[in-house]
Amino acid sequence: MISWFHIPPAQRPLFSVFVSAHLVLALCCICSLLFGAGGLSLQASFQTLLGNGSADDQFTVFHLRATRTVIGLFIGLTLGIAGALMQAVARNPLAEPGLLGVSAGSSLAVAITLVLGASTATLTVGIAQFGALLGCLCVLSVARMQGQQNDPIRLVLAGAALSSLLLAVTSLLLLFDQRAADEIRFWVTGSVAGRDTDTLLSVLPSMLIAGLCILYAVKPLASLALGERVAIGLGHKPQRIRAVVIVAVALLVGGATAIAGPVAFIGLVVPFAARALVGPDIRRTLWLCLPLGPIIVISADIVSRLVAQPAEMPLGVLTAIIGAPVLLLIVRSRRMPTL
Amino acid sequence: MMNQSLSLPNNEENPTAPSGHSLLSLGRHLTLLIEKQAVIRNTWLLILLSVACIATLGIGTMPISPKDVIAVLFGHGNPMSQFIVQDLRLPRLLAALFTGAAFSLAGCLMQTMARNRLATPGIIGIDNAAMAFAVSSVVGMGVSLAPSAMALAGAATATALAFGLAGGSGTRGYRFIVAGIGIGAIAGAVTQLLLSQVSIDVANSAYPWTVGSLSARDPMMVKVLGIGLGICLVACLFLASQFALMPFSDQVITGLGANIKHIRITALVLCITLTGLAVAVAGPVGLVALVGPEIARVLARYRGIPLISSALTGALVMILADLFGRTILSPIELPVGIVTAVIGGPYLIWILVRRTSRTSL
Amino acid sequence: MTATSLQFKQTSEINNLARLGAERLTLKHGKTSIIENLDVSLPEGKVTAIVGPNGCGKSTLLNGLSRVHSPSSGVVLLDGKDIHSLPSKEVARRLALLPQDTLAPDGITIEELIRFGRHPHQSLLKQWAMDDQQAINYALNAADLEGLKNRLLDTLSGGQRQRAWIAMSIAQETPLLLLDEPTSALDLGHQIEVFELIRNLSRQGKTLAMVVHDLPSACRYSDHIIAMKKGEIITQGSPKEVMTKELVRELYGVECDLIPDPMTGSPILINMKRVRN
Repeated sequence: MISWFHIPPAQRPLFSVFVSAHLVLALCCICSLLFGAGGLSLQASFQTLLGNGSADDQFTVFHLRATRTVIGLFIGLTLGIAGALMQAVARNPLAEPGLLGVSAGSSLAVAITLVLGASTATLTVGIAQFGALLGCLCVLSVARMQGQQNDPIRLVLAGAALSSLLLAVTSLLLLFDQRAADEIRFWVTGSVAGRDTDTLLSVLPSMLIAGLCILYAVKPLASLALGERVAIGLGHKPQRIRAVVIVAVALLVGGATAIAGPVAFIGLVVPFAARALVGPDIRRTLWLCLPLGPIIVISADIVSRLVAQPAEMPLGVLTAIIGAPVLLLIVRSRRMPTL
Repeated sequence: MMNQSLSLPNNEENPTAPSGHSLLSLGRHLTLLIEKQAVIRNTWLLILLSVACIATLGIGTMPISPKDVIAVLFGHGNPMSQFIVQDLRLPRLLAALFTGAAFSLAGCLMQTMARNRLATPGIIGIDNAAMAFAVSSVVGMGVSLAPSAMALAGAATATALAFGLAGGSGTRGYRFIVAGIGIGAIAGAVTQLLLSQVSIDVANSAYPWTVGSLSARDPMMVKVLGIGLGICLVACLFLASQFALMPFSDQVITGLGANIKHIRITALVLCITLTGLAVAVAGPVGLVALVGPEIARVLARYRGIPLISSALTGALVMILADLFGRTILSPIELPVGIVTAVIGGPYLIWILVRRTSRTSL
Repeated sequence: MTATSLQFKQTSEINNLARLGAERLTLKHGKTSIIENLDVSLPEGKVTAIVGPNGCGKSTLLNGLSRVHSPSSGVVLLDGKDIHSLPSKEVARRLALLPQDTLAPDGITIEELIRFGRHPHQSLLKQWAMDDQQAINYALNAADLEGLKNRLLDTLSGGQRQRAWIAMSIAQETPLLLLDEPTSALDLGHQIEVFELIRNLSRQGKTLAMVVHDLPSACRYSDHIIAMKKGEIITQGSPKEVMTKELVRELYGVECDLIPDPMTGSPILINMKRVRN
């Protein structure tokens, strides 16, 4: 294993990393079923998993915990991929849906529909996705604008500014509607607990579209990483690739936000870990993001159940706590001239 | 060839000031250069500010004429208007004046230091941390200090954490900014967590602290802010020539004999102090820090670093925003944070979307 | 202060004070050391050109000598004293640096830019004196910018802008001036303009050091050449002594012939061909 770390990330065998990542993911899923904040002991959970539990225990393990595991799986998958895509399009390792205001756009759209009379239960996924698309477009226009200047912080600042603006507008809306305010304050803390699987099912078709978009865009994206002119020279159409990727990101982030509320930093941490393992090529990192995203979300969720027993810490808080140091790590490790 | 320009005899004792400046000479050892434009600009801003103050003191459910307001301010006038102006409206006006000036001056300092017009204390998460602490006090978790004191503690904690994580300010303060953004995100998440754990009534009582408002101010904090603002303004005047070097590259600044680390740390300390105190009074009204310096820069035609003008424009923006929020939907009072967000928001989008030259973002 | 006294001050300072060198200097970027245990000194009253291939540590050396880059070990000596022990303003009155990367404040005129050069001579209570005015006029004159002094820096040509930056360093009135690639990104005419300005400054008694990429210009406009490779000084001396076929090959991996310039006698490179070493 030590010798494995001596191989440059870009030359490591993708297959072995991929397989071991999936093994870890399976382990995480099992742990997610075993551990919990409730009164169920580890032993009882284990027995239940083997099929010898009481009805209550079965409900806890196979309904409550299994649901949140599945949702965690979904959130990790979508946000991790979305982060990797956004970073490739913006050509900036700090581009992250949560940081750049995409999730905030989604939240605002949800808040608007809540104020207009919907409730969180009947929330349509399309609204959240539309909001994400608007946030995405806004922030990427900035990214394109400052593309030549090798200064990733600008994009993050622009995103932070956009987020704070969108959150202020969200607060403004909630000022006028107490009922919506009451509903949204639970939703706005990103969490995988207590969400229902029906929304998950309604999201799936759009995820299929997003998947097709990604399959179309992944190869051109790899050449776009070499620069816009190179991509044109290789016969790609950068504008079209970007548009396709932005749609995919909006679908992914909007879907995830509709289900779990805004969860920041997943899109930053996952591609960062993937790049550290297999190098910067998007075709490799994207594959690795598939298992890595769920691994990180599910393990964060397990921790969030255990640290504040008997209460739980929402996932969004925990990911922020993990993500902020990673953000700094990225900035410090890339010896950027302006830093 | 040698020193040809100096071969001209030049026996004048007093030099002439460079264009656009006047020279205030008090003997050989005390010569001050004063930029005419800045003086004119700031005088106008002061006049505008006074007009806005008098208008604010007069406007409300009980209108008072400007003449009466001035009379009251000089100690005359009838007891009724004296009570309304001095006890009801003046404290709020002072809070708006001080917080606006403090936010805006802090914003200008941080923008200058980071060479980035989006880098203001609010955007990098100091406001968020103050908010989280204040909310924790309101909802009854954590230490039982007054929300304003907690806000101050929050701003200080965020700064200390950001410094610790970043390991110093870093060149251009960028590492510090990134650490701040991270901490801001955590603080935002914590605030949401706190609000989701309590009943809706308690959450509502914490509302002013989440959007920024002048209605929950603490008179003691306003006084402290006033003193702090005065000290910081004087410090800025003393350090103006050093801050003026900040747009140059590090090498030039060092080459000209200025200590870049000291300048940066001083600027950071000043802007954290200002932000912390202002947040303790009004909560997170961070957009003033973005809008105020920008107006000042437009007035200064994008030349130099308009620190004093920024403070004045910030105060003006805050007073007008509060007046607007108080009167537009009367008797409902819009929090000043919401008003500045609605005013500052479109401007912010414009800044983000506009095609920019190399210096503007 | 009269013109003669200013003139006197300049020449006397140059004779007594100007001396810059380094002993066992080690400069690092992060953990990689760019320069290790280097001894170097700049000959007084001369133009020194530092040449070498990309990444050989030329600019790092210049930054080290001008205290912008702090050494990991060793000392930079300015007039016999450790440059980092002297007050920064004091150093700035003796040593000026013109870096390669020249960011400037928005909307600044040439005169305002040059006025920044007076920063080390000014204080909170003494913001403008006769010296300042004279130094600025002198710098404007020396860099031939008098007619342009109220123009905005952004509106100038590359050569004029570079002259304005040099004028700012001149206004600093230092006996020592370090320039990092003063002619990069300039066309031929502007290059010569800047080099001639540098030579004039040297004739007035200043000690100059510059990083140059172009070997023939380095030979032509300098009195002393320091050739660097991989953070070490390979050779140094007057251009005629130092500049050989072997040196060119060693520095750049280029095979060439050298012939003397028929007018000035400085070496010219011909028949250049890349070889791999």
